[in-house]
Amino acid sequence: MTTSSYRIGIDIGGTFTDLALVDDSGTVAIRKVASTPDDYSRGIANGLGALIHDLGIDPQAISVIVHATTVATNTILEFKGALTGLITTAGFRDVLELRRLRVPVLYDLQYDKPPPLVPRRLRLEVNERLGPDGKVRISLNEDDVVRAAERFRVERVEAVAISYLHAYANAVHEIRTEEILRDVLGDGVYICRGSEILPEIREYERTSTAVVNAYVGPVIRNYADALAGRLTEIGVTAPIEMMHSGGGIMRLAASVKRAASLVESGPAAGVIACARLVRGEDRGANIISFDMGGTTAKAALIENGEAARTDEYEVGAGINLSSKLVKGGGYPIKMPFIDVSEIGAGGGSLVSLDGLGRVTVGPESAGALPGPVCYGRGGTRATLTDVFVTLGYINDVTLAGGSIKVDAEAGRAALRSQIADPLGQDLLTTARGVLTLAVSTMTRAVKAVSTYRGRDPRDFTLVAFGGNGPVVAADIASALGIRSIVVPLAAGVFSGFGLLRSDVEQEFVQPLLADAARLDADRLPCLKAELRARAVAALAADGYDTALAEFRFSADLRYFGQAYELNIAGEAGSGAVDALVEGFHREHERTYGHRSTNDPVQIVNARMNVRVPTASNITRFAPAPAFVRRDRLVTFDREPAMTPVIGREALDLRPRSGPFIIEDYDCTCVVPPKASARLDAVGNIEIEVTS
Amino acid sequence: MKRIDPITLEVIRNGLSSIADEMALIIMRSAYSPVVRDIMDYSTGLCDPDGRVIAQGLTLPIQLCSFPRVMRFLKERFGDNMAPGDIFITNDPYGSGGQHLPDVYVLKPIFNDGALAGFAATVAHHTDLGGIVPGSVAIYATEIQQEGLRIPLMKLHEAGQPNRTLLGLIESNTRQPVEVLGDLRAQIAACTTAEKGLIALVERYGADFPIYVQALHDHAEAMMRETIRELPNGVYVGEDYLDGLGDNPVPIRIRATVTIADDTIDIDFAGTSDQVAASINCPISLPESAAFTAIRCLSRRDIPNCDGYLKPITVRAPEGSLLNPLFPAACGARGVVGYRVFDTIMQALAKVVPERAVGGSEGGPFLMAAGGTHQGRQFVLNEMLVGTWGARADRDGIEGISNPAANISNQPVEMIEAEMPVEIVRYGFVTDSGGAGRNRGGLAFIREFRFQQETGFNLRGDRRDHPPFGIDGGSCGAPSAHILVAADGSEHMLPAMPMHAFTAHAGDIFRLVGAGGGGFGEAFEREPARVLADVIEGKVSVVGAARDYGVAIDPATLAVDEAATRALRAENLQGAVA
Repeated sequence: MTTSSYRIGIDIGGTFTDLALVDDSGTVAIRKVASTPDDYSRGIANGLGALIHDLGIDPQAISVIVHATTVATNTILEFKGALTGLITTAGFRDVLELRRLRVPVLYDLQYDKPPPLVPRRLRLEVNERLGPDGKVRISLNEDDVVRAAERFRVERVEAVAISYLHAYANAVHEIRTEEILRDVLGDGVYICRGSEILPEIREYERTSTAVVNAYVGPVIRNYADALAGRLTEIGVTAPIEMMHSGGGIMRLAASVKRAASLVESGPAAGVIACARLVRGEDRGANIISFDMGGTTAKAALIENGEAARTDEYEVGAGINLSSKLVKGGGYPIKMPFIDVSEIGAGGGSLVSLDGLGRVTVGPESAGALPGPVCYGRGGTRATLTDVFVTLGYINDVTLAGGSIKVDAEAGRAALRSQIADPLGQDLLTTARGVLTLAVSTMTRAVKAVSTYRGRDPRDFTLVAFGGNGPVVAADIASALGIRSIVVPLAAGVFSGFGLLRSDVEQEFVQPLLADAARLDADRLPCLKAELRARAVAALAADGYDTALAEFRFSADLRYFGQAYELNIAGEAGSGAVDALVEGFHREHERTYGHRSTNDPVQIVNARMNVRVPTASNITRFAPAPAFVRRDRLVTFDREPAMTPVIGREALDLRPRSGPFIIEDYDCTCVVPPKASARLDAVGNIEIEVTS
Repeated sequence: MKRIDPITLEVIRNGLSSIADEMALIIMRSAYSPVVRDIMDYSTGLCDPDGRVIAQGLTLPIQLCSFPRVMRFLKERFGDNMAPGDIFITNDPYGSGGQHLPDVYVLKPIFNDGALAGFAATVAHHTDLGGIVPGSVAIYATEIQQEGLRIPLMKLHEAGQPNRTLLGLIESNTRQPVEVLGDLRAQIAACTTAEKGLIALVERYGADFPIYVQALHDHAEAMMRETIRELPNGVYVGEDYLDGLGDNPVPIRIRATVTIADDTIDIDFAGTSDQVAASINCPISLPESAAFTAIRCLSRRDIPNCDGYLKPITVRAPEGSLLNPLFPAACGARGVVGYRVFDTIMQALAKVVPERAVGGSEGGPFLMAAGGTHQGRQFVLNEMLVGTWGARADRDGIEGISNPAANISNQPVEMIEAEMPVEIVRYGFVTDSGGAGRNRGGLAFIREFRFQQETGFNLRGDRRDHPPFGIDGGSCGAPSAHILVAADGSEHMLPAMPMHAFTAHAGDIFRLVGAGGGGFGEAFEREPARVLADVIEGKVSVVGAARDYGVAIDPATLAVDEAATRALRAENLQGAVA
């Protein structure tokens, strides 16, 4: 094996760090190790060190490390970001704290807003003014900027965001401000301009994005340095690529500049892996990804091999379900995101009963610690995992190939005493009921990306992954009328695996705000060429081979007056505008049920997505650590029945009728009665639900 | 009777509320007017076949709680005359359950296999429905006929066919036909989506579905009764005032007598001022809705948002009063009264359960509607500005938030400037404007508009002569203001509720200052460290800290002078004794 080179994917989650390694022949090895939240880079170095040691790999043979991390998200959730200052147009320093005013809950007089990431005393104002056309109305008062810079120096701020009104239309004042700040504060202070990070209209969203970026920027910079240092210590000097929330990878240095884009990198990696399953294959190319771990369930929509995107995300808002509506609970970032809807129901979600006999699952979670009762790490309140073990859905002795011991009786006892007895129901009926409830909660995540966009989930294949996704996939599918499920190889470490399957991907946006009917014929082709040139220059600057680049042009359109756009893929050839407009009418009708053919259409943005293929070709998996399987009692309906427990390799191309359970090293897959499963040619499990 | 499985109940509740949220999302994303798409002044709900609300979207409480009344009218008038494909519309406060003309209800009966399965209900504030001013809210209107187009409850679609006569009438009566028709389509799209979702649920649960819906109502009712039972029986009176109309305002009284008897609450508005010759008269639908909202806020339980929780609550207002006006009283600007009703009930409740109440908020949305012609097209700027909560028993109020009875958004400054000949010069908080207290009220907001061409505008404010109340010894918030600054720098205070429109010249600035939130508890008991933190943040000034809180802070070092603070606070005590 010593002549091969290796690519390594590393995904840090709250509980586990997943590692996946692929060699030149396409053979993949996977590992799951505990995360080290006090210093994540230590856990990575330990896990990676052990993996390459076990496999006898020369650290210098590692060609690249692709990484996804929760560091950016945790920095915000735990308020551990940099001491950040903000410079705004005079009269607008409170835009950040005023937000958009709306609250995410009704009838709650005890509500509190999330505190602003920049305190008011560090939000300083500067005299300057631009018009919406970008024309200077009041020129920049440089003395104000110098005063602000001095103040930041005295206050020892570590990062500064600059956000002037209408700077999306003309960055001149922000650029000059950055220069002055740089002179006064030196290179150590992280600076982020709104006009650079998000050149789009809407001052609050742009300011918030710049502030989040500045707030996490220095943390990511330190993290990047620490990680590179740790890896060097174990002899790994390969370049590090980071997964961003849009589902592509970028250089570590670039990610420091766009730190906010790392926020949903782990979930994005899983979705990308799903998209790769179908891209270029004739399998039903439309899939809904379903990722369920310890605290949340996440869903995303993939059509024709491409994941659906959104351009707005609120980090720290708790559940991100129907994200555009539940506003105000977190910190908005406006950047390209894979549209992942998230709901607070995972294996660790607490099962509760209120005084009036109402049962709920989540969003409160026992997390990794104390964890589910049956894990015996101190958890006392029943969780969804305890329900799984009660029903026999998961192994009642050990999990993850023996690394977690399971005390099934403790889990059952908690569920009985806390829920079943007070309800006057028997244990198994209660467990079935709680599972049904959890499934109905989780289906909301799926609906948020399908029915909420006018898509019928029954037209999609459900791809289930994450530690718990394949456990409940068949129940989720039944609830939504989905008939076909795929449980891919490495489903339990799918995000880490997805990193090996990702391409370099970036998006370049040009605001246009033009009437489609009055657009000059050559405007779009010109824009396309411009954007393409920008993309090529940026990729070349990062040292990527632009000869391999694939370009996809699209535009955001809306009816004049609307506030939200639909993204429509551009088509080659002449008449491009007409094709975009017709595509928009069609998509509007599909999404909202009506079109207004006679209303004027506005082209808001032109977008160029560029992708440089870097994904590894995967041919086979190295054998995972072996463990013993035993048949067990599983309750699918009313009565428990002895049910076979098999390994994935025991399946073949011929469908096998349920009920049975497939246990892999990294996850468990439940195949209920009225369902059958088979293995496809590559080793993915295909489940057909017949009821 | 069938035994109710609590888990199935929760599953159905979940399914219903996800439909109501989906409706809200569709309206937001496909609407045309800034009022709907940016401010989000609209609401969505689902009703059972009896017209009782069974789910609410994450929208505006003060609109949501008005669905029961309009549904009652719909059932009464069209109960036997509904068919699949029908969609109903109304905006009429008289005889149709509306609130004021801009709020247009679009309601769709949903049928499954020929049987009525329920209703989709939406209401949205439309940007203009004609009348004497752009935006259709003229405070000085005296009859509803002056205010715009009245649409009694009627069919907008019949058996799937749009009523083109009505649509044509609407189109020719609004200053903004594209926006209004676009927003109506968004409402219809939301109803159509709800139809699909509800039918799927009904088919899935079959005969059990109505049983579970009833259980949901019963469950909500039980929770509300339990909440009320926790409150001491008694009669509690709250009184609050609107500043009054025009240049020489006479205060207008709202009086609420809240009677708590075991597990019921009765709210009687007897003693409220009579209806007025201006458009702030408030059809009963809104006071009812505001009262339900206030009582709902009392409960810290997760009550299902369905009709059941309204059952233990009765609301009454004398006919011909401000809160139950007689036809043809104008009512376009009535919203402010609804928020005052909420505040009045809060004041009554603060006497019995101060720990669950909230100090007076900014006063509800301040309206500023400006209009004219820009680049050959009529424009309407509809501002509905909110921003402040009063203090609570265990925490400060909040600045930069929607009123507790609304859930609306501000409009992006850049969008306004990109689309209209108006520049926003300032948008932020006002130092020292929060009512002092052990817990401070939220700060007032300030928003300044510079008109770039001659522009007509009209206003509706409040909370100037009667600022937001404090609780348990907390001070009132700072009063609101309407100031017109002429291009030469001279300032003119405009009435809170002016009885005419104004014309601004190019370069004039209109400065709108909301009211600050009421404080909670004695200000001189506030921990000096918390006062200092507010001073450092510029939310309280050094002068304000000494005057309002008795905390001496050295402006140079920004440190608390403890000796001087003791002296100030002792002085205050003596003053109180003397």
